[in-house]
Amino acid sequence: MLEKWKLREVIVLSVLAVVFAVVYLVFLQFGNVLYGVFGLIGYDLIFGIWFIVSIIAAYIIRKPGAALLSETIAAAIEVMIGNAVGPRLILSGMIQGIGAEAVFAAARWNNYRTWVLIAAGMGSSVTSFIWGYFISGYAALSPSYVTAMFFVRLISGALLAGLLGKWLSESLAKTGALSSFPIGKEQRRRKSENGFTA
Amino acid sequence: MASLRNQSLIKCEHLTFRHEDEQKPVFKSIDFTLYPGEAILLLGPSGCGKSTLAFCLNKLYPEAVDGELEGTVSYKGKMLEEFRPGEINKHIGIVFQDPESQFCMTTVEDELAFGLENMKTPPEEIGCKIDEALKLVHLLPFKHALIHTLSGGQKQKLALACVLSLKPEILILDEPTANLDPASSHELTRIIKRIKDERALSLLIIEHKLDDWIDLTDRCLVLNREGEILFNGSHADCFNTYAEELQAEGIWLPNTVKAGLLTKKAGIFTGKELPLNHEEMIAGLISPDSALQFLDNKKNTPTCLEKQTILSAKDLSFNIGPKELLKSISFTVKKGEFVAISGSNGSGKTTLSRLLAGLFSPSSGEILYHDRPLSSWKEHELRNKLGYVFQNPEHQLIADTVTDEIAFSLKIQHMPDNEIQKIVQTTLKQVNLLHHGDMHPFSLSQGQKRRLSVASMLVNEQELLLLDEPTFGQDAKTARELMALMEEKIQSGSSVVMITHDMEILHSYADKVIVLSDGEKIYEGTPAELWKEQEIMKLASLKVPYIEKLKDELRAMSRREKLAFT
Amino acid sequence: MLLHDINPSIKALTVIVCVLILSVFFDPVTPMLTLAVTAAATFIFGKVSFKRWILLFSPFIFMALIYIWSALIFSRTHEGETILWSWGILILTEESLQRALSLGLRVLSFTSLSLLFILTTKPSEFLLSLMQQCRLPPKLAYGIMAGYRFLPLMKEEFEIIRSAHRIRGVPKARSLPEKIAELKRYAVPLLAGAIRKAERTAMAMESKGFTGDKNRNYYHKIAVSPKDWLFFAFFIAMVLASAYISWFFGFLQLYNGEL
Ligand SMILES: Nc1ncnc2c1ncn2[C@@H]1O[C@H](COP(=O)(O)OP(=O)(O)OP(=O)(O)O)[C@@H](O)[C@H]1O
Ligand SMILES: Nc1ncnc2c1ncn2[C@@H]1O[C@H](COP(=O)(O)OP(=O)(O)OP(=O)(O)O)[C@@H](O)[C@H]1O
Ligand SMILES: [Mg+2]
Ligand SMILES: [Mg+2]
Repeated sequence: MLEKWKLREVIVLSVLAVVFAVVYLVFLQFGNVLYGVFGLIGYDLIFGIWFIVSIIAAYIIRKPGAALLSETIAAAIEVMIGNAVGPRLILSGMIQGIGAEAVFAAARWNNYRTWVLIAAGMGSSVTSFIWGYFISGYAALSPSYVTAMFFVRLISGALLAGLLGKWLSESLAKTGALSSFPIGKEQRRRKSENGFTA
Repeated sequence: MASLRNQSLIKCEHLTFRHEDEQKPVFKSIDFTLYPGEAILLLGPSGCGKSTLAFCLNKLYPEAVDGELEGTVSYKGKMLEEFRPGEINKHIGIVFQDPESQFCMTTVEDELAFGLENMKTPPEEIGCKIDEALKLVHLLPFKHALIHTLSGGQKQKLALACVLSLKPEILILDEPTANLDPASSHELTRIIKRIKDERALSLLIIEHKLDDWIDLTDRCLVLNREGEILFNGSHADCFNTYAEELQAEGIWLPNTVKAGLLTKKAGIFTGKELPLNHEEMIAGLISPDSALQFLDNKKNTPTCLEKQTILSAKDLSFNIGPKELLKSISFTVKKGEFVAISGSNGSGKTTLSRLLAGLFSPSSGEILYHDRPLSSWKEHELRNKLGYVFQNPEHQLIADTVTDEIAFSLKIQHMPDNEIQKIVQTTLKQVNLLHHGDMHPFSLSQGQKRRLSVASMLVNEQELLLLDEPTFGQDAKTARELMALMEEKIQSGSSVVMITHDMEILHSYADKVIVLSDGEKIYEGTPAELWKEQEIMKLASLKVPYIEKLKDELRAMSRREKLAFT
Repeated sequence: MLLHDINPSIKALTVIVCVLILSVFFDPVTPMLTLAVTAAATFIFGKVSFKRWILLFSPFIFMALIYIWSALIFSRTHEGETILWSWGILILTEESLQRALSLGLRVLSFTSLSLLFILTTKPSEFLLSLMQQCRLPPKLAYGIMAGYRFLPLMKEEFEIIRSAHRIRGVPKARSLPEKIAELKRYAVPLLAGAIRKAERTAMAMESKGFTGDKNRNYYHKIAVSPKDWLFFAFFIAMVLASAYISWFFGFLQLYNGEL
C-alpha cells in the first residue's frame, strides 16, 4: 500500500499522528475528569476527539488507508509517550480507524464532502462502541444506559471528529501550508471562483 | 580537458517552470549543460529562480510543489523522469539555501549516518566517515549535539559535511556561505576546491558574493530578473563585457572587478580587462600613490557627537544548563548610533541579541533601556520602541499574506485602513516585493523572506532596531536599498544594532563594532581601528574588507618605491 | 545488565504477551504480584527515577480508584454474597470488593508493564528495531521518526511563535476569552509549521538519497541476543507464577467481561 504514497505524504501523516497523540493524551485526563463527574457516559461526551486525526489525515491526503494508518500510529505514539493503557490501545486505535476508513472506502476515496466526513466520524463511533461493548463489558450495564451512551458517542463523533476535523483542516489550508495537497488546491479554486463573482 | 567534456553530465533543454497558481513562469527556456569536472557559478538577482532551478535539476521539483515543468533535464543522457524519487539524488548532492530545512534526524551523528545508510555504505565504515566529514568542517566537537541547538552558521557547515560525506558526482550548493563568518566562508571554498581537485567533482554554485569562488569555477551562468539566461560563458567575458549590465540587474560583482570599475572610471586603472584577482588589480593601476589618493578620498567620516545613551548592557551573562553562552558583556548604544556586532559562528551573537530584545532574560547582569531595566517595561510599550529582526526570517513571519505581514503591527495599533494601505504599498516598493503582495510569506524566495522580515519591522517608528544578519542572501541592489533604509532610520534619530558578517557593511556604515568570541566581548571600537587588530580579527574569524586590504598593499608598495628612490 | 539494553521489539513483545496473559485472569493477587515484580525490575534494572515513574503512574492510580469506586456503586450484587457493609441502597459485599480490587489492580499492572517499556526504551531505537527485526517499511518508520522528532521541537516552535507575536506587540492575553483566542492563534500556526516542516523533511530525505528501499545498511545495529529471550522467558514465567500463587490461595478466576 505504501508504495503508492509519496514520501511527503507519509511524513505529513506521521506528523499529524504525533501531534494528535499528544492532544489525545491531554484529552484523556480531561475525559477522566468528565468521567468522575458524569460517570461512564462522561467519556462518550468527548469520545469523538479521539477520532479526529483520521478525519484530518484523510481529508488532507485523500488516499486509501490514511484514516486507518493515522489513527493507528497516533495510538502507538500515545502509548510510547505515556498512555499506560498499553498495547491494547493500539488495537483500539486501529478499530477506530477502520470505522472511518470504511466510510471513506464506501465513498470510493474520492468524495470528501462535509457529510462524508461526519459519517466517517460516526463510523469510528460505531466500531469503537462495538469494541468497547465487548472489551469493557458494557453488557453488565442497563440497556437503556448503553443506548444513551451509544447516541452520545455517535453525536460526539459527528461533531468533534467530523466537523471539528473539517474546520481544523480548512484553517490549516488557509495558512497555505497545504498548498500542494488536494485540499489546498480546492481552497485555491474556491478562492479564485469567489474572486470572480466578487 | 576538452576530451573529458564530450559527454554531458546534466543537460537542460528549454526548461521552464511555473508555479500552479502563478501566471508568470519563474524561469523561462533555460538551456545549459554541465560537463564532468566542470564548475559553474549561477548568478542572478534575488527571486529570479536560482533555487527553483536547483531543485528542478535533481527532481525534488516538481515532485514537492505544484508546478509545471516544461522542457527536459537529463543526467548522463537519461531523462530525470526515469529515475525513482531519491534515486537521482545519490548522484547529485545538494545543500539547500535554508540551513534549517535540510535535516531529518535529531543529532549530528545520526544525520550523517542517515545519508551514508542510504548510499548502502557498509556499517563498519560509517563511523569513520562521519568523523572524517565532521573534521573537514571543524564540527567534530559537536558530533553528539542536537541539531536544533547549533547556531545558524554551524548548521550550514553541517549541511555541507552531510553532502560531502556522500561523495556525489555533482554537487549543487545554494548559497552555502550566506550565514558563515568570513574566515569560515573562505575556508569552505578552499575545502570545496580541494575536494573538487581530488575527486573530479562537478559543481553548480549559487552565490551572491563571488570573491572566493572565482578561482574555483570555470564559467558563469547569469539569470536576469525575468528568469532568462543573460549570459553563459567565461568569467573574464562575463565581467568585462557585462559588468555594468550585471550591476544594473543588481548582481554583486567580485570586489576586484568593482574596484577595477571604480578606478577605471577615474582613469587610474589602465588594465585592458577588468581584474578578476588581486594581482591583476595591482598590475593594472597606474601608480600606487594616485590610487591611494583616490581611494582615501572616498572614506566616510563617522559623525560621533556626544549623545544620549539609550541602551546599556551591564555584565550580561547567559547560561543554558552548564553551558556558558555569554560571559559578562557590557556596552552601550547611543541615540542615532549604528552599532555592529560581529564574531565567528557560534560566538553568541544571536543569543546576545535575544537578550537585548527582552526575549531571553540574562542569567546575571542587567539591561537598561531608556534608563529603565528591560524587565520593568510593559510589553506593548517596549515593542513600540524596540524592533527586532530574527536571524531566521521565517521566525518573524506570522501572517498569511505578504501584505498582511507588513500591516500586522499597524493593525494592532488601530491605524486607519487607508493609512495602512499607503504605508504597506510604500514599504513593499522599498523592499522590492510589490508584485508579491498576495503571496504567502513562506513561498517567497529566501532573499525575499529576509526583506519581508526586515520590512515588517521598518513600518513602526521604533527608536532602536535590533537586526540579526538582515542583509544575508541579498543581491547588490536590494542590499543597498536595505542599508539605505537603515540609514534613513539613523537620520531620523533612531539607533540600529546589527549583527553582520559582512565586512564591507561594517566598514561603511558602523559607528561602533562589538566583536564577540566564545561568548566574550573581545573588542569594542571603530571599524577602522578593528582592521589593525590582527589578533582579534583572527580570533573572531573576520577579514579586512577588500578596499582596505588593497590600500594597505598600495601603501606598502609606495613605501617600497620611495625606499628604492633614495 | 540494564533494561535499556534489551532489544526493543522483544521488550514490546514481552509486554504484549504479559498483558494478554494477565487479561485472561480476574483476581486481585495475580496483578498485584506482577505489579510488584515489574515495578521492582523497573527501578533495579532500569535505573528509572521513582519521581518520573510515579508521575506517569499516578493518573492511573486515580483511574483505578474510579474503577473501584464505580465497581462498588454500580455493580450488581448477586444473591448469596457476603455483605460487609450497607448504607441505604449502597451495599458492599465481599465479592464486589474483590471484583473492584481486581479491576483496579489489573489496570495498574498493565500500566506498570507499559511504563517499564516506555521508560527504558528510546523511541528511535524501537523504530530501528522494528525495521530490522519486524520488517517495518523504512518509509513508514522514518516517517514516524521524523514525526516523533517534532515533539521536543514543538515546545521550541511554540516559543518561536510566541516571540514573533511578542515582537510585533501583540498584547498579552489576560481574560479567559482572550486566552482561548490566543490558543487558536498559536495552535493553527503550530500545526501548519509542523506540516511545512514535514514536507521539507521529506525533501531533505530524498535529497539525501532516501528511496524507501527495504534493503538498508544500518549504522546502529539493533541485535537480538540470548539475553533478550531470557528476559522474555523471565517475565512470562513471572506472570504465570503470580497466577499460580493466586490459584494456590484460591483467588484465581477467569475474566468474563466484568466491569
Ligand atoms: N510556492 C510558490 N508559489 C508561487 N511563487 C513561488 C513559490 N515559491 C517560490 N515562488 C517565487 O519564485 C521565484 C523564485 O524563487 P527562488 O527561491 O528560486 O529565487 P532565488 O533566485 O533562489 O532567490 P534568492 O536569491 O532570494 O534565494 C520568487 O519570486 C518566488 O517568490
Ligand atoms: N538551546 C541551546 N542549547 C545549547 N547550546 C546552545 C543553545 N542555543 C545555542 N547554543 C550554542 O550557543 C552558541 C552560540 O549560539 P548563537 O546562535 O548565539 O551563535 P551566533 O554567534 O549567532 O552564530 P551564527 O553566526 O552562526 O549565527 C553556539 O555554540 C550554539 O551551539
Ligand atoms: Mg534562492
Ligand atoms: Mg546567529
